Amino acid sequence: MNEFDMSQYLSLFLDEAEEQLQQLDEAVVLLEQEPNNRELLNKIFRIAHTLKGSSASMGFEKMATLTHRMESVLDSLRQGKLAVTPAIADLLLACLDKLKELKDKLSEGQEGEVDIEALVRRLEEVLNEGIGGEQVPVSPAVEQPLQLDDVEENVIRAAEVRGWRAYEIKVELEPDCRMKGARAFLVFNNLKDLGEIIKSEPHTQELEAEKFENTFRLAFVTKEDADTVANVIKSISEIKEVTVRPIVLEEEQGPAPGSPLQPDASKLSPAGETYLKRGMERRVTQTVRVDVQRLEALMNLVGELVIDRTRLAEVSSNLRNRLGNEELIETLDEISMHIGRITSELQEEIMKARMFPIDQVFNRFPRMVRDLAHKAGKEIEFIVEGRETELDRTVIEEIGDPLIHLLRNAIDHGIESPEERVRLGKPRYGTIILKAFHQENQIVITVQDDGRGMDPEVLKQRAVERGLITPEAAAKLTKREALDLIFLPGFSTSERVTDVSGRGVGMDIVKAHLEKINGTIDIKTTPGAGTCFTIKLPLTLAINRSLLVTLGDQVYALPLANVVEIIEVDPQQIRRIQQQEVVVVRGQVLPLMHLAKALGIKRDCYFSGRKAAVVIVGLAEKRVGFIVDTLIGEQEIVIKSLGNYIGKIPGIAGATIMGDGRVALILDVHSLLSLLETEAQGALAS
Amino acid sequence: MVQLVVFQLAGETYGVDINYVHEIIRLQPITEVPRTPDFIEGVINLRGRIIPVIDLHKRFGLPPAETTNNTRIMVVEVGGMTVGMIVDAVSEVLRLPEENIEPPPPIIKGVDVAYLKGVGKWEDKLIILLDLDRVLQEKEQEELKQEFGPEVATA
Repeated sequence: MNEFDMSQYLSLFLDEAEEQLQQLDEAVVLLEQEPNNRELLNKIFRIAHTLKGSSASMGFEKMATLTHRMESVLDSLRQGKLAVTPAIADLLLACLDKLKELKDKLSEGQEGEVDIEALVRRLEEVLNEGIGGEQVPVSPAVEQPLQLDDVEENVIRAAEVRGWRAYEIKVELEPDCRMKGARAFLVFNNLKDLGEIIKSEPHTQELEAEKFENTFRLAFVTKEDADTVANVIKSISEIKEVTVRPIVLEEEQGPAPGSPLQPDASKLSPAGETYLKRGMERRVTQTVRVDVQRLEALMNLVGELVIDRTRLAEVSSNLRNRLGNEELIETLDEISMHIGRITSELQEEIMKARMFPIDQVFNRFPRMVRDLAHKAGKEIEFIVEGRETELDRTVIEEIGDPLIHLLRNAIDHGIESPEERVRLGKPRYGTIILKAFHQENQIVITVQDDGRGMDPEVLKQRAVERGLITPEAAAKLTKREALDLIFLPGFSTSERVTDVSGRGVGMDIVKAHLEKINGTIDIKTTPGAGTCFTIKLPLTLAINRSLLVTLGDQVYALPLANVVEIIEVDPQQIRRIQQQEVVVVRGQVLPLMHLAKALGIKRDCYFSGRKAAVVIVGLAEKRVGFIVDTLIGEQEIVIKSLGNYIGKIPGIAGATIMGDGRVALILDVHSLLSLLETEAQGALAS
Repeated sequence: MVQLVVFQLAGETYGVDINYVHEIIRLQPITEVPRTPDFIEGVINLRGRIIPVIDLHKRFGLPPAETTNNTRIMVVEVGGMTVGMIVDAVSEVLRLPEENIEPPPPIIKGVDVAYLKGVGKWEDKLIILLDLDRVLQEKEQEELKQEFGPEVATA
């Protein structure tokens, strides 16, 4: 094996391990809540087993040893020799953390100095206590029967119906065997004539690549008896030993009537249901890992197609003008229409390919909430809804941190201690609901708790204490504005500093993160009854629904996420307050500015028309009205960068190519507004 | 031998190494980009790519020229950046022996010597050879910095 191939396997292994550890994490947390969920336990066992196998075959001994011991404990749980207790769940989770640590070390190259001894010893203690000092098998994998998944078990059952028998075959090659891969191939080949191989351990590819010690195991269904099978294998040279044992399947699963499992299965929590359902979906969808760069390149190509489609339509209309209604032109029209439709579909499909379910972020939260709740001494039921909601991967990368902050705050500040809750007549355990769903062109994520809520008066008081605002300013704030105080840097409502949060950082960072990806955040709270944070995000950062406006002969795109409203303003209604033009809209004073002036374009900014078109943009609580020359309409645009030469221009997010091939600039409302603010302050100072 | 693309700018003949030249296109509508230095005319769509276009007259402080039927955008690639440069006309592609190239004289009409690689002699003509790396990189960074502060130029 050359190095390149090895590294390829390694990255595949790491990807898989990451996914498996994540699944285990979720499942163990769920198992703690549903200790009798046998299906879940089986699933955990299967994943752990796969991980053990793959880490062993990659030669990562520590990982293999640890998973092997975990597997033994899980097996005891499965057989009812041990019961799922919080202590055991803690131990399993600690093992998972250690495995993650090992995995991270591996991605750097080596298993390194990670110490697994303490955990292995604890696992052994648990085993010995539970099953009366029975010795834990020392050599991994061999003593355990071959592990079969549902599909494989079904194959065996189907074969048994036909009167075939299933055997587990263990083949040991001579220690000095030269071509192990070839021997394994011969074994496979000879067996094929007798029946069907349904599983091999290690996997066939690994056998071919000679990535195994001297033994391998097979699950085999055949009409023949064990001796015939053994003899066929023994006829191959350099085979040291062959053992053939019949496979005995466990009883068909499914709770027996009246068994204690049944009520549990029927009152699975919503989270549990989605969990299991998701597990099944994962098995049927086939996926390919694709470099994002490739998708971007595809997107660019589609962009060019879109432009050519528009040109094609132009050519055919020119031809029609010149030549009249010819049959050929009709055909051309038809083709250009068809190309247009296909292009749009293509664009949509590529967009979809960039989307991920938000579960990629959500899946680590149940574990996190559990740990934080334990630490804070709170009892919390954590409900996750809308895991399947899809959004662009660029957005996914950015949304994790803000959500962690919000959840931490809810656990630490929101939910009261169990005693306090009982005293207030609330259920002992608090509830936190994390929910994601689509709404029009946006993703909405809510974090809701039934904790103590926030009191605007207390917030004002705190802000004054911290010197963030003056008492006079505080007195003027409305309830809503008072809630926004928590987004100020340096604001923290916690009475004491805890390990979890309350270090005086948090909500300002949440807000900054969200603004970076054109998101907004809104708070609803009732003192004593809880708080709900609502985050709204664009579906994607690469494609954007925008409002197209013109300034002179140039077109600009304003992301629709930032557009609050479009109004017409009579120039006579415009007033000036301290150098600032304003207009009163439904009782609210709205600052006005010509977009050309805001962008620093040197031109005449007065309007001659009877009415001015004003686009009101909003960012969080800020509102500004931009006067534009004309409005064109809404359009989906693909965002492209202006490139390194020009670099980042304040107020401009990038450019897009329109249907006619011209370039339109996309405005970055966030940076434009903060730029205007700095300029205004500069003007005041000078 | 050096292969040069020869072009006209404010009445002088200039040349750049053909290896830098991506393609030569006719002038097309340019989208202005606000808050950029004066010599950046804006951006164009080059088959789906957004390319900045600079005006070499403004870049070198030469007197402005009328746009004619001969005006071209010369698209060059330097240091991983693709940039269009507006020139008055593109005349030809020449092969020039190395020995015909001399270092730039201390004083030359029009362009700052810092942007020159040398001067090539061909028949009775003088061809001013541009150092594109410097034209597109060095000075720009400074000018951008002056206008917007350091964070812009390094972005």
